[in-house]
Amino acid sequence: MTTADFNHHVDGRRSWLLAVTAFFGPVLFILVPIGLFLSYSFFSVEQGAIVYTPSLGNFIRFFTDPIFVPIFWRTCLLCLAVAAVCVLLAFPVAYFLTTLRGRWRYVLLVLLLIPLLMSYVIKIYAVRSILGGNGLLNRMLIAVGIIDQPSMLFVFNLNAVLLTLTVLLIPFAVLPIFLSLERIPQSLHQASADLGASNTQTFWRITLPLSLPGAVSATSFVFVLAIGDFLTPQMVGGQSGFTFGRIIYSQFGTAFNWPFGAALSVILVAVVVAAIGLGGRFGRHRGTF
Amino acid sequence: MPEPKSLLELRSVSKSYGSTAVLHKVDLGVRDGEFITILGPSGSGKTTILRIIGGFTTPSEGEILLDGHNIASMPINRRPFNTVFQDYALFPHLTVEGNVGYGLVVRGTPHAETSTRVHDALELVQLGTFGKRYPAELSGGQRQRVALARAIICRPRLILLDEPLAALDVALRRQMQVFLKSIQAEIRTTFLFVTHDQEEAIAMADRICVMNSGRIQQIGSPHEVYYRPASEFVARFFGENNLIPGVLGEMIGETRAIETEVGRVLCSIDGQPEIAALPSGRKAWAACRPEAIVIDGAGAEENQISAIVTQVAFAGASTMTSAVAEAAPGLVMRARMQSRPVGYTLARGDAVTLAFSSTACRVVPA
Repeated sequence: MTTADFNHHVDGRRSWLLAVTAFFGPVLFILVPIGLFLSYSFFSVEQGAIVYTPSLGNFIRFFTDPIFVPIFWRTCLLCLAVAAVCVLLAFPVAYFLTTLRGRWRYVLLVLLLIPLLMSYVIKIYAVRSILGGNGLLNRMLIAVGIIDQPSMLFVFNLNAVLLTLTVLLIPFAVLPIFLSLERIPQSLHQASADLGASNTQTFWRITLPLSLPGAVSATSFVFVLAIGDFLTPQMVGGQSGFTFGRIIYSQFGTAFNWPFGAALSVILVAVVVAAIGLGGRFGRHRGTF
Repeated sequence: MPEPKSLLELRSVSKSYGSTAVLHKVDLGVRDGEFITILGPSGSGKTTILRIIGGFTTPSEGEILLDGHNIASMPINRRPFNTVFQDYALFPHLTVEGNVGYGLVVRGTPHAETSTRVHDALELVQLGTFGKRYPAELSGGQRQRVALARAIICRPRLILLDEPLAALDVALRRQMQVFLKSIQAEIRTTFLFVTHDQEEAIAMADRICVMNSGRIQQIGSPHEVYYRPASEFVARFFGENNLIPGVLGEMIGETRAIETEVGRVLCSIDGQPEIAALPSGRKAWAACRPEAIVIDGAGAEENQISAIVTQVAFAGASTMTSAVAEAAPGLVMRARMQSRPVGYTLARGDAVTLAFSSTACRVVPA
């Protein structure tokens, strides 16, 4: 064996080792748990003990029981609504940020992202106190004269879940939209004006279409985060704000039916993967360089 | 000769960013229908002039007159000019047709008229079959032509081109120079072309405006700028030049004398009455192109310099001879001759006489 061959051999072995190390973490901490969930979803429970005989019973139960599918659809719709409201509110914010020059743009962006550093539970409490009977929202509505006594429309129902999730997840929508707006070269705006377009025309014909990939990835981002959340509905949802995440949570807690919880989780993972896939597919422009 | 009709005029236009001045009181007239090139090294302010005319930058001082009206504060989308950007700035989400028709669509042009004019413009730039493609699917030269079609379709008074050929390779560049010239001749629109490439400027322009450090050095035809440089910068900027330092002497007939270390050099002042008016004793250069110098000629030329050959460099069609003047060891003269297959006798160390006529030599005020 020549030296060159030997070196080649060692290099090959080293890069193989590197690849194994690089993939070890993700495989161990992501793929293995998902695999475990998938295998558990085919088991069942009898008298508090898990029966390791594979069957499709859990999935059949999900699709035939009158409770689960409606809640599943309702949760999907709720999370789509959250995503839509988030994107609609985040777009003007992101657009405003890109119109700022120099340092202010990034100072404001960081200020917007600071809530991400705070504890999720504390933020839910904060929003709940704003939405509650004596909360800021009710007092403001009374002060303005829209209502004359505190409304309970905003706590312990699906509205509360929608509002809270929207408030909590808006930063995740601002970021991708801001990035896609910022990536549009200044020269495209100038070219549009040079060809006679007004600022409004430039916005509708150039800025908005070119920022759509960002808006689409913001939508799938927020949707995925919202549909996986069980804490928010648990804390502000009350009796009527029952969501798919809460059902899964209860299967692992009070109901102590891990295999059924695993089956529901597998269904949730499928939805999340589909949402990310759709976001990725429509988030790309065929014409983009 | 009647003065050609002026389309656009810059009057003492200045631009500064903070305390950094990038343009100093620039005066420039653009004539209707001409191909004018603004030429200068990077940082000379040439792109700033284009951006001020296009409306992308507002001048700190001065007026921009279009048909006699100041348009300095007119917004970009109202100016009857269109720009071909350096990076083309094609809209990536629109097809070639969408890009070319953009200027018509935003003006509310009827659909049928838009599609005819888009078709015609694409035919003009020889991209007739590319209408449905996206910019990402085109080569650099094709994108360039889409950008040109997009600019000419609105029938602007003036087309601004910001170093549009800079990103292309040499062969494609030569091809596009010829192409741009022919398009300009066909549509008879005024072109204002910004470049840093001297050869490109000489090859394309009717007039060249040479810029350096925010000031216009000279405006003239390529021939004038090449053979009658108005400043040392211009004399050195275009190709090779011999600059012999000296002081201005008296007028001798139709020529002006410059007293130099290598003796009196006579320079033509034809077409430059201002040179005749300069006071004697002032520092100046005598400028003479290498191709105008004859080595060991018949001796009939007015200006003769004795020199020792230091280098003979064969460069294909021509041969460049470097020689150092006997009277001034620091002065290296370069002479370019047509190469010949046989009969070369010059070699390093030979004593020669460099001769050039006064018509080939010009005064450049220092």
